[in-house]
Amino acid sequence: MPNKTMSCRDVALRLQTYLDGELDQDRMDSIERHLAACVDCGLEAEVFTSIKNDLASHVKPVNSAALQRLRDFSNQIASAAEADG
Amino acid sequence: MSAASLATMSADPMPGPPGQDARFEAYVVPELEILYRVAQSITRNPTDAEDLVQDTLIRAYRAIERFDGRYPRAWLLTIMRNAQINRVRRKRPELMRDPDETMARVADESPDGADAESQLMDQEFEAPIEDALAALPEKFRKVVELVDLNQLSYQEAADALGIPVGTVMSRLHRARRNIRQHLEASRIEEI
Ligand SMILES: [Zn+2]
Repeated sequence: MPNKTMSCRDVALRLQTYLDGELDQDRMDSIERHLAACVDCGLEAEVFTSIKNDLASHVKPVNSAALQRLRDFSNQIASAAEADG
Repeated sequence: MSAASLATMSADPMPGPPGQDARFEAYVVPELEILYRVAQSITRNPTDAEDLVQDTLIRAYRAIERFDGRYPRAWLLTIMRNAQINRVRRKRPELMRDPDETMARVADESPDGADAESQLMDQEFEAPIEDALAALPEKFRKVVELVDLNQLSYQEAADALGIPVGTVMSRLHRARRNIRQHLEASRIEEI
């Protein structure tokens, strides 16, 4: 087992950024190692992962009629510009 | 785009960018859905959201020849942010209306009664997580909607809201801690 270079406090500070995949690779790796070795931080990570997943699963489907109107609008912009020359 | 025009493009000896329409098609059209989703988060009103995306599309078309082709989503979200600032300026204090009134207006603008009814049904069976999200103050909820529901990066959310990345992070992280507390509290109430 590699030694824990990060303290639990360091991990707590960066945990959410880690879960969002927004840390540099070195930090991502050291947090990943810490989480594998530390039960407390591992549980904390699980709680926030499940909140993230729960939120992601509650995204509402977009109104397809509105989306189609926006597609049509995009096409109109291009053809109107062409007509202008 | 036709196969013929593609062939013409690839046969073009000039390594410059393709034409305005092709660039618009390549960089902007694939982002329409996410633009509309973000616009809904920002305006909290389907009609305003659609108008905002239309403004954004027009601005993007005008600017597309100057766009370097990198990070089209971030580029579009910045354009949308500027379009929104412009709309708010145009629109007088009407936008400062209170949340109850906004809700009433959204209900009025629903296409038909059945839709309003299904929205009501949604609310009745609201999942605890939605309840927790709805309980967040507006500026925290927006960041969660952009990053956790619509999967924007921190930078993209920052561009869409016109705030620094650090502010996105602090709001988002605090919002999730609030959501967690809310969920834990509602679990205790159930017992
Ligand atoms: Zn730890």
